Formats: sequence, C-alpha cells, structure tokens
Amino acid sequence: MSLTARNALIALGITVALVSTVIYAINYLNRARVAELSTIQDKIAIEILSLDTQFSLLSAAPCDSAASSTTLTGELADLGTRLAYAEDQLSSDNPQVLQLKNQYSLLEIRDYLITKQLAAACGTKPPVTVLYFYSNAGDCADCDKAGYALSYLRDTYPKLRVYSFDYNLDLGALKTLIAVTKVQNSLPAFVINGKQSYGFTSLIDLEKKFPKGSLATSTPKL
Amino acid sequence: MSPEMFAYPFLFVAIFIESFILVTLLSKPARDARMRGPATILPTVAIIVPCWNEMVTLAATCESLLALDYPKEKLEIILVDDGSTDATPSIMQSFAPHPQVRIILKENGGKHTALNAGIGSTETEIVGCLDADSFVEPDALREIVKCFIDENVAAATAAMSIHHPKNMLQHMQNAEYTFGITLRHAFASVNGLYVTPGPFSFYRRSVVEELGGFRYGHQTEDMEMALRIQQAGYKIENAPRARVYTKAPDTLFKLIKQRTRWTSGFLRNILGEYRGLIGNRRHGALGMLVLPSALLSIGSSILLFSLVLFKLTRHASAAIEIRTGIPLSYVMTPHGSFDWFYFPASLYLFLGAATLLASFTLITIGKRIAKTPGSLLFGIVSYTLLYAFVVPLWLINATSDVARDKRRGWRY
Repeated sequence: MSLTARNALIALGITVALVSTVIYAINYLNRARVAELSTIQDKIAIEILSLDTQFSLLSAAPCDSAASSTTLTGELADLGTRLAYAEDQLSSDNPQVLQLKNQYSLLEIRDYLITKQLAAACGTKPPVTVLYFYSNAGDCADCDKAGYALSYLRDTYPKLRVYSFDYNLDLGALKTLIAVTKVQNSLPAFVINGKQSYGFTSLIDLEKKFPKGSLATSTPKL
Repeated sequence: MSPEMFAYPFLFVAIFIESFILVTLLSKPARDARMRGPATILPTVAIIVPCWNEMVTLAATCESLLALDYPKEKLEIILVDDGSTDATPSIMQSFAPHPQVRIILKENGGKHTALNAGIGSTETEIVGCLDADSFVEPDALREIVKCFIDENVAAATAAMSIHHPKNMLQHMQNAEYTFGITLRHAFASVNGLYVTPGPFSFYRRSVVEELGGFRYGHQTEDMEMALRIQQAGYKIENAPRARVYTKAPDTLFKLIKQRTRWTSGFLRNILGEYRGLIGNRRHGALGMLVLPSALLSIGSSILLFSLVLFKLTRHASAAIEIRTGIPLSYVMTPHGSFDWFYFPASLYLFLGAATLLASFTLITIGKRIAKTPGSLLFGIVSYTLLYAFVVPLWLINATSDVARDKRRGWRY
C-alpha cells in the first residue's frame, strides 16, 4: 500500500471517529435536555397540586391579601422559555415536548383561574391578565412579533400576568378556555382582562388595548 | 431537508483533508525532510528577480539576496527589467558594481518572458526566482539546495510569511501563509504540490529547459510550470526552513484582485491543459487527493458562504422585524441565561468548530516547523474573523471570470 493510500485511510478513520464522537456528544446533550424536561414535568405536576392545595387552604381560611395571590409568574416565564427552546431544538412533534406543553398550558390555566377566584373571594382588584393565543404551525405571521412585545411588557411591568397558549394544542382544558373566552381562530389573539382582540401591528397599538393606568411600573419614575 | 444538510459532506471532506495533513506530517518522508542535513556539495545557483515597476522594494530585495550565506562564486543574481516605466532600471544599476549581479533590460513581455531571459543567460545547475517585493533569510538558499540532493527533484519551494503585516487583512494573510507552510510541507512529502510560488522557488535548470521554459500560464506561470513538472513525472520538494517574506496586499480590493488572478489561473490551467492530472492514479496524491480537493474546496466555500449568508440574512431580518417598535434599551439588553440547557448543540456548529480548531493547529505547526519569529495571535484572530467571509469573494469572482472567459490585468 502506498504512503498516500495508508495516510488517507488513517485520516478517514480519524474523521469518522471525530464525526461519530460529535454525533454522540450531541445526542448525549439532547438526552440530558430531555431529562431536564422530565424534571420540569415533575415540577409542573407538583406546582399544579400546590395551586389546588393553596386554593383549598385559602378558601377555608379568612382572606389574607398577602397570601391570596399565586407566585408562579416568574417560574411560568422560565418554564415557557425552556419549553420554547426545547420545541425549537427537538421539534414540536416530539412526544415529550408535546406532553410538557400540555402540562404547562394546564398550569397556566389553573394559575389564571385561581388568581381570579382569589381576588374575587378577597374583594381585591385582580392583576391585569393577558391570555395570548398563538400558533407555530406557520399560519400566524405576526405571532413572533406579538410574543416579543408581550415579553417586553411582562419584563417592564412585573404585575402584568401573561399566559401564552398554542391555539392548536390538543388539550381539553385549553379547548374549553377557548370556548369560554370566545376566542376566534384569527391569530395572534389576546384576551386582556376578559376583552378579546386580534392581530398585532405595533407595541403602541397593543398597549392601547390595556385598561388605562394598568401599565404602570411598581417603582415611581425619577 | 434543512439547508445545513448540504454543508455536512463538505465539512466532512474538510476534516478529512486536515486529518490527512496531520497524519502526513507525522510520516517518515516528512520527518526525514525536517531532519535533512546540510548539502555536502553546493550546486551553482542563479536567482532571477523579474521586475516591472518595482522601484519601491527592489533595493531591499537585492540587499537580502546579497546577504545570503552562500559561496559567492556559486551564486549569480540576475535582475531582469521587464520594460519598467519607473526608476527600476536606475535602482538596478546601483547594484551593477557587485560581481554577483547581472542586469538584463528588455521590453515588456510579462513575467514568464523575464524569467526565460534570465534562465537563457545562465549556465548554473539550479535557477530560482524571487519576486521583487520579497526578502529572504540569509540561510534560506542553503536550506533550499538540500532538496536537490535527490536527482528526481525538479523544483523546490520555500516557507513564505508576510513581510511586516500591519493591518488586520495582512495579519489574516500571515496566518494563511503560515497554514500554507504546513500544507506545502505535508503535500511535498507525497509529491502533491501544484504551485512553485514566485517568492523563492527553485528549479533544476536542465528540467526547465527540457520542458521548454516558462509560459504565460493564464497569468500564473509558477503554477503552470509546477503542473508541467508534475505531468512530466518529476518531484517538487519543499524546504520548510527556507524562510522568505513577501509583501501582502493591504486593502480588500487589492487582495481580491490578486487572489482572483491566482484562482482563475488555477481553474484555467487545471480544467484546461492539465485536466488529465485530476483523478489520475499515476500522479498519486496530486491526482487523487490534492487537485480534486482543491477544486472541491472552491465549490464548497462558495456554497457554505452562500448558506451562511442566507441564514444570517434571514435571522437578522426576522430579528429586526420582531424588535421593530420595541424600546432600544430593552432590545439591546441580553435576556437569556447562561444555563447549559440553552447550549446550541448542532452537528453543523460542532463540525465547523472542529474544522476551525484543526486549522489553528495546522497554523501553529507551520510556525514551529519554519521557526517563524513573532507572534501569530493577532493573525489567528484576524483569520478567524475574516477569512471565511473574504475568501468566497475572490472565489466567486474567479469562477465567474472563468465561466464568462473574462481576462483581467496582472497588477493589483
């Protein structure tokens, strides 16, 4: 065998070994990501149970305004970001991603309902709530823009509660929510404090849909 | 199918070629080449300096040749003026008193005619060429002549670096040239060289005359001569410690013009008269590996560049569209977290990183083999940031020129 042929064979072996290692490393990372998703799933299950328990405890006790609100907003946002990234990396057809999305949506609905019910029971003013319906099936050109604008509003106004739902998700509770809130299949769709609106043009137009004075920062402006 | 799928075969080939270079560097012929002892009998040598309007750098080039550590009676320096219109002839005359220097004045006919005029005027065993914008280390010639101990060696190349790189573009070229030192050294070990560059390449005079001297060669007479030598069945060697420094284009426009000439010359030679070398088993590594991969790299660079440009444009326009109307203070603030969960693990990214890492290794090896002084850090940074984006510019330009049969001027 010539020197060139021998070296080419060795180089081919190195290349195959390197590419195989890279493929293995990527699969390993994706497996670890899926394992992380399982942890998130468990966490969501516990949060759902916790919300139920919190509601039962508060409805049987004198109303305490300090305890009469859920504290899931930040966690929901974090879970939502992870879920969106996992969906992007592992595809939206991945069974685990779909299951997690169902559970996440369920948790959002529970948080939304309990927050509303607690405010009613205590007679306090409920926080401004946005139910945001999107689709990533390629039939919603403005959904990315609307999602980013809502992220901005949520980060800027911490008291604002934003719940995002994939309109096409096959989940009974979500279908019921869509029916109850009378949201049409014209996306992006928003239900802001119970009032429906459709489409996204700009942040300014979106802000106009909020009740007057509801978009105010918790800290006074200098 | 995602656009990345097109990139995978090319990334695979790039890693394969880099692995081949690394393995070849460790092979016995390359090790022996690095361990070559001094030549016991020094041949007579003529160094031809073809000049056309080289008044700025010619004097320094001549000074560096006169400082070569080589017996004066065995070294001729032939300055050939190819019809310059500036002060080049008078600068040449200032070196006339040196007994080693001979001056030839002729009408402009192109670099190949200047080289042939020089070769025709000498009887030395070895003839070499040094571009008038290049400078050599004193021991460079002694390193070169070692290669000619083997009777079958018809030509030998040196280790080129950029002379005093100043801006980012020149530092990038310096890293690229250092990569070239490794590449040339490895490919010479398997007789796979297809170019004997203008800065300090040497030839056995008898072989050059047997092959009919230099030709126009589509403005790449050095490549054409190397291909002809290979076609005739001779060997082209490399002296990795024969250091030569050459001036580099300092603007993108000049660089693109220079490289367009080189690339279109390569394509015209290799797809024309020397097509028979491609895939020819008789020519071993050159025919089966080096030339096919050189051709493939032109196609793959253009494709990968287009792919990256397409993806970047798409992502950038989507990102701008999404952020339109949102306060800049929010848009400019990073909102992600440094959690491992968000690590972008894609085959495309990993293979690209492996290719780049291997390139850094080969650049570092080149610097060590040639014992090139100075730091290459800025060169490697410039190479990483610029190279992948500027190379496709001249590749596209050259490919388009060849496809449309467009000819450009020689000078940059």
